[in-house]
Amino acid sequence: MIIRVRFHGRGGQGAKTASRILGTSCFIEGLNVQDSPVYGAERRGAPVTAFTRISDEQILERGYVFDPDLIVVMDPTLLDSPAARVTDGIRKKGVIFLNSPSVTHITKQNIASDFRLVNFDLTNAAMEMLGKPIISSASAAAAARLIGMVKESSLEQAIETELEEIGLSEETIEKNVLLGRKVFSSLEPVELMTEESSRELKIAPLELILEGNGLEDITAAGNSSVSRTGSWRIFKPVVDYEKCTACTVCYAYCPESALTLRQDGKPVIDYDNCKGCLICYRECPPKAITLEREVVAF
Amino acid sequence: MTSTRSMLMTGNLAAAWGARLGRADYIPAYPITPQTEIIETIAKWVRTGEIDAKLVQMESEHSMLTAAGAASLAGARVFTATSSQGLLYALEMLYNIAGWRAPMVLVNVARALAAPITLEPDHNDILAARDSGFLQFHAETCQEVLDLILLAYRVAEDSSVLLPAIVNLDGFYLSFTREKVDLPSEEDAAAFLPDYKPVNPFSASNPVSKGATVLNGALYSYFKYHMHASSLRARDVFEKASAEFERMFGRSYSPVETFMADDAEIVLVISNSFSTIGKQAVKRLRNRGIQAGLIKLRMLRPFPSSLVARYLSGRRGVAVFDQNISLGFGGIIYSEVLTSLYHRRNRPQLILPVIGGLGGKQITIEEMERIFEATKNELGSESPEPLFLMRSEELERTMNLVKTAKEVHS
Ligand code: SF4
Ligand code: SF4
Repeated sequence: MIIRVRFHGRGGQGAKTASRILGTSCFIEGLNVQDSPVYGAERRGAPVTAFTRISDEQILERGYVFDPDLIVVMDPTLLDSPAARVTDGIRKKGVIFLNSPSVTHITKQNIASDFRLVNFDLTNAAMEMLGKPIISSASAAAAARLIGMVKESSLEQAIETELEEIGLSEETIEKNVLLGRKVFSSLEPVELMTEESSRELKIAPLELILEGNGLEDITAAGNSSVSRTGSWRIFKPVVDYEKCTACTVCYAYCPESALTLRQDGKPVIDYDNCKGCLICYRECPPKAITLEREVVAF
Repeated sequence: MTSTRSMLMTGNLAAAWGARLGRADYIPAYPITPQTEIIETIAKWVRTGEIDAKLVQMESEHSMLTAAGAASLAGARVFTATSSQGLLYALEMLYNIAGWRAPMVLVNVARALAAPITLEPDHNDILAARDSGFLQFHAETCQEVLDLILLAYRVAEDSSVLLPAIVNLDGFYLSFTREKVDLPSEEDAAAFLPDYKPVNPFSASNPVSKGATVLNGALYSYFKYHMHASSLRARDVFEKASAEFERMFGRSYSPVETFMADDAEIVLVISNSFSTIGKQAVKRLRNRGIQAGLIKLRMLRPFPSSLVARYLSGRRGVAVFDQNISLGFGGIIYSEVLTSLYHRRNRPQLILPVIGGLGGKQITIEEMERIFEATKNELGSESPEPLFLMRSEELERTMNLVKTAKEVHS
């Protein structure tokens, strides 16, 4: 028996920690575990993927999980990002967990036929419990519950271990344990009798690879000017022009140059490229910038 | 068997534990992804007093290695770590440290070399250090990272060797991957690895000249031949040390590990973390009745030629998976395997060169299986075509990125 879980989140949401909490909780249950994240240069908001493999035998796998039994989608806007490839490779009868109040975000088209959808609004629960949209323990709790091999006490112990490890305060850890407990008790285990979907391997012959000329200047779309970092936002900064005093502090601080100034010196936010780091929100002296939760992707 | 405790650990944490259980007392450091976590962990232990060592942040990898070699000669047990560009920046000093006969241990977290820039692994960085005189041990699992560091100190410090050593682990696939690691107790580790006793160390009151100018080809050759002979001796020393390691800790490490290879007709030669996926492929092929097997190179310097020849002679086909490329030639390990076999009368019919996993390119189980199939198909061929792994869907995505780039630029 081996279970492969793939977490998809954005930098800062806690995907890596979620995979570790799930890993540790299964380790406490005496199972073999392997967990790992993949990410590029570390940036808030960029897509992050993390994996947990769980088995009662030796795990002879490594690296990217191509064929997950369970996919945990921590940010549903990732479903619309072609680069994130969230639902790729899911096994037949596999489970997709959505952090979302509803499942209307996902259509069953283009994905292996008989997967199952489960959803829960983790972000809302995290906002209530922690006051922040950080859902590492909530996502781990959802996965732990769905795979049905983890006792609540093991999950709690794992949350404590992993959050202590990253140096969080006792109070924050306690709140995370409560959050984990809430998510855990709100879901039911699903039976993970997944089957491998047949994957046909086509190797690209070298002649085909060499058809390009290899001299192209940009080789990763993530760094190119066509990549819209606006889709990274979890919260959207909104300027209240009544309160704004045109002090230009936000303009000076925005690391993405996503703010330009109007004639009257007040800022305009380029939502295509504002990545939602919220530095402008934090720095604005008269608190003229407010936040709205981002619910759709573009 | 002795007392151990098990923990989930990343390869980086395991490397830090290797330094800790090896009782390193001087750690010059310089950060580089994906290695930094090793140094951060050791720095934390130094701060909390959990280890009694001196950690110094230097201004570059070059200075870091210079300090490391010098401290090792002065009698400190030295640990340090780097990766990729950092290793290349320090490369000049690697040759010096080996020539000084300073038995320090360096961990390299493999990361492909620029340009283009990436963070994920291949082995062109570590293989750039191939000819430096450093012994090289390559790890497949987080457990091996820890264990090989202890073994590396044992071998490097042996009076018949006295050469520095590198332990290699793959970025991401090991550095950031957690799996179960059995942690030896400090007492057991100390029993396995006694204190380092430097040969003719220097100190402020006892100046000694190491690696002096010779300006004489014969004298230079004399020293180089001795370094070569010492490196070759390291294989025996390693085997003896690992036999003792097995008695103490129950884990056995040969310079070359075999996996289902006894009766295999087609054998894959591989090293480092992707070996795990290779093993899975072998298991799946065996279930389908195909006599597949694998050998994993754990020791790259000295190169275990005779073991490689022993395990590969008499096979029908062999494939060598090189996660590196010597541009304008091909795989580096391929030529070493070929050299090891040339004079064997019953050398394999075919040795297929395979290039894969450059820049951390993901390798699926199916790709590993394909290597065996390709080897079988090429049997009898006089000039086998090298297999360059890239899946069609990967090429498609790549060409989309290239297309985007062209659009942006026009
Ligand atoms: S949140 Fe504010 S500071 Fe951050 S990118 Fe958007 S506009 Fe700039
Ligand atoms: S920092 Fe606040 S007050 Fe100042 S310009 Fe920006 S939005 Fe207006």
